[in-house]
Amino acid sequence: MIVAAVDAQTLVDAVGLGAVYALMAVGIGLVFGVLRLVNFAYGQLVMAGAYTLAFTSDWPIAGSILACFAVVIALSLAMERTVFRPLRTQSPAVMLVTTFAVAFLLQSVALILDIRDGTIGEPATSIASLNQAIAIGGVDVRKVTILAIVVAVVTLALLALLLAKTTIGLQMRAASTDFRTARLLGVRADRVIGAAVLLSGVLAATVAVILTVQNPLVAPDFALKETIVVLVGVVVGGIDRLWTATLGGFAIGFATGVINGALPTDKTVFLPSAVFALVILVLVLRPAGLFARTRTTVADRV
Amino acid sequence: MTPALALEDLEVLYGPVPAVRGLSLEVGKGELVGLIGPNGAGKSTTLHAVMGVVPAAAGDVRLDGASIRGRTPESIARAGISLVPEGRRIFGELSVEDNLRLGLSARRKNGAVDPLADAYALFPMLAEFRRRQAGALSGGQQQQLAIGRALVAAPAVLLLDEPSLGLAPTIVDAVFAALTAIRERGVTILLVEQRAQRTVALADRTYVLANGELRMTLTPADADDTDKLIQAYLQ
Amino acid sequence: MRNRLDTAVALLGPALLVVLVGIGATFVSRSNEIHFLNALASVAIVVAIYVFVGTSGVLSFGQVSFVALGAFAAGVMTVPFDSKAGVLPDLFPILRDHTIGNVASLALAAAVGGAFAFVVGLPLMRLSGLAAGIATFAVLEITHNLLREWTKIGPGATTLSLVPETTGPLQATIGALLVIVAAFAYQRSPLGRKVRATREDPAAAQAVGISVHLQRLWAFTLSGALCGFAGGLLVHMLGSITTEQAYLELTFLTLAMLVVGGVTSLWGAVVGALAVSGLDTLLGNAEDGIGVGFTLDLPEGSRLVILGGLMALMLILRPSGITGGRELRLSRRRAA
Repeated sequence: MIVAAVDAQTLVDAVGLGAVYALMAVGIGLVFGVLRLVNFAYGQLVMAGAYTLAFTSDWPIAGSILACFAVVIALSLAMERTVFRPLRTQSPAVMLVTTFAVAFLLQSVALILDIRDGTIGEPATSIASLNQAIAIGGVDVRKVTILAIVVAVVTLALLALLLAKTTIGLQMRAASTDFRTARLLGVRADRVIGAAVLLSGVLAATVAVILTVQNPLVAPDFALKETIVVLVGVVVGGIDRLWTATLGGFAIGFATGVINGALPTDKTVFLPSAVFALVILVLVLRPAGLFARTRTTVADRV
Repeated sequence: MTPALALEDLEVLYGPVPAVRGLSLEVGKGELVGLIGPNGAGKSTTLHAVMGVVPAAAGDVRLDGASIRGRTPESIARAGISLVPEGRRIFGELSVEDNLRLGLSARRKNGAVDPLADAYALFPMLAEFRRRQAGALSGGQQQQLAIGRALVAAPAVLLLDEPSLGLAPTIVDAVFAALTAIRERGVTILLVEQRAQRTVALADRTYVLANGELRMTLTPADADDTDKLIQAYLQ
Repeated sequence: MRNRLDTAVALLGPALLVVLVGIGATFVSRSNEIHFLNALASVAIVVAIYVFVGTSGVLSFGQVSFVALGAFAAGVMTVPFDSKAGVLPDLFPILRDHTIGNVASLALAAAVGGAFAFVVGLPLMRLSGLAAGIATFAVLEITHNLLREWTKIGPGATTLSLVPETTGPLQATIGALLVIVAAFAYQRSPLGRKVRATREDPAAAQAVGISVHLQRLWAFTLSGALCGFAGGLLVHMLGSITTEQAYLELTFLTLAMLVVGGVTSLWGAVVGALAVSGLDTLLGNAEDGIGVGFTLDLPEGSRLVILGGLMALMLILRPSGITGGRELRLSRRRAA
């Protein structure tokens, strides 16, 4: 067994990765809470944001980022209207497969748009400057890693505040627990769902900005791997509640970062197998998630 | 006088089976009307149909003369009908106060300095426990919370689905006393209950539902007439 | 009497369709033949997937991993002996020094698929819903990773080629028919009935003594074996195989075929596979600008868009699929 060398650099990068994954986990968890729907196409929202940044590369940075947020939020709301809403009465598995199809659909649309200039991949250059590193106490920390951590912490704090202190936050929490009773008390279903989808879109756009700084070349499979990993993390953490989902997302991001940084590349070829085997183990032992309070699951059929 | 709530030839289906058929009843403004009957009679279904939780296959539901059939539950709640659901269905992980605040979602008139004051006045216990997690309360306290939550919406009509279920007799006394107090504030009440005798004694008028159909109407004078009560249930 | 007719039609309907496609394959040019064979291979895969997903009601993203295993097993073991040591130098000696025939390789593919499915299914079949979806997805990822990196059992990231192309119209048709017959026999057997009971109402099934875990395990194992077999058909049709050809895109495509056809019936699986294959071919030709009666020139990459859109639309508007999830029937059953 090799002794892994986990240095400060690796830890910082891992925390940064965990932060990004945590944001995505919240985006997925919010929508699941009110709709009981796992949005497999969440990664495509991030991809759309990244493409927007790429296609507006020659705009001023602020305008580019604004456009990114606008496009992602619009796409999220459109998704809710055309896909989620008609599916509300279906089983969670049907919803999962449909979002799976939507994910492929959006990816293919992106391919068509991208390939018009003959190549796959669009560079997002305007914000790439944030990818430079600064030295803190002997560790090379990229500016974007700091940005990711700060943004994640601030965003999560704001979200927690919103959920705890505002009326819409209270309604969202209630709707996530017992939607029917919430409606009987006058909570407007459309408004709560719209709020969750909107917030989820804002988070996706944020992640798009951060990821694009780290990987300026945007292709149709942008954020696909990350989404899959986050989804796994969310289910392993426990999708039923927001904080367990977020913790799962952060944990898997952090673990991935540490392992990737600690092990030399030739030893990591079988890493996916090891990780996924672990995922299976966890799910078999605790189907509702590692951090879940109960052992019961969201059982359903296709 | 237009009744506060009127059901006309209401029919509700569960799949192909009619759970409620041809049901017509009225609740006048300020009245406390009871709805009793054996298990599976369709009492809960009737309340769910009024709230729009299950669709009405035929017939009409009218609030103050205007039809509310086909509207979403939240819009019906906002129109002035509040339901205290069977099993209370409070949000165990939210605080007592948050549970009450949720009830404000259906409140039409704003401007009251402290909209929760009414609920606290009626159930002082709630004020004492306002910060506590609702799941930590006892059954009787949760029932009071559920009623209080429905009241903060300042409804015109209050529906209750078996509020005494699972409660000790002394608690039931408290709940029924609260209902009287609520009625005195001008709220119209439709009370679905299993405890036939107490309901008949309390209400202005009690309908008996069996097999989805209205069987008879009882008055408080019938409260001690055991034969009549048995006959109503066993028909 | 009507019951027996219904049963015969339920089997003969899909079988006839497959035979027609097989016959069609012999009449067309060499370059078009591959589309027909592809359609038949798709039928085999989709029906194999249906044997688990359709009967148990549990969503699995991992069935294609058994297709991959079957394809690689059959492929590696049929590469001609003389070339094997050259193209696959790192293989385990037992794999490198032996070569088997066509039919044996198909049997091996089925055995490998079934065995792997059984081992994986032992722990996994306790899961339902979302957990099952993620866990089976993990199986897909593990298989893909192993096949891609472990050069002792296969070509790894490179293409496995020189596989004898023994799947022509005859083998493809017979292969697809075998899978259909196996699926049909299973679903009509006591085992098949039990697993369908667990789909309808797990609690009630358990109450009458049916072990949900065991029944799902049988279905999963059979499905794994049939998927492996289909993988064997596939590799002998293409003459080569890569890990990417039995991974995410195939998973999506075959799930789409099943859903579009109708998840809960054999007829749905067959109809869906043929319909979507046909559409895929049409769209593929249109992308290349080939005339298909009328000229339709689609931009590159739009076929997946259309397929994805079709699948999403079908799930939204008619979740029970083209066939409504029912088997083929001649007589219209009168209401009892």
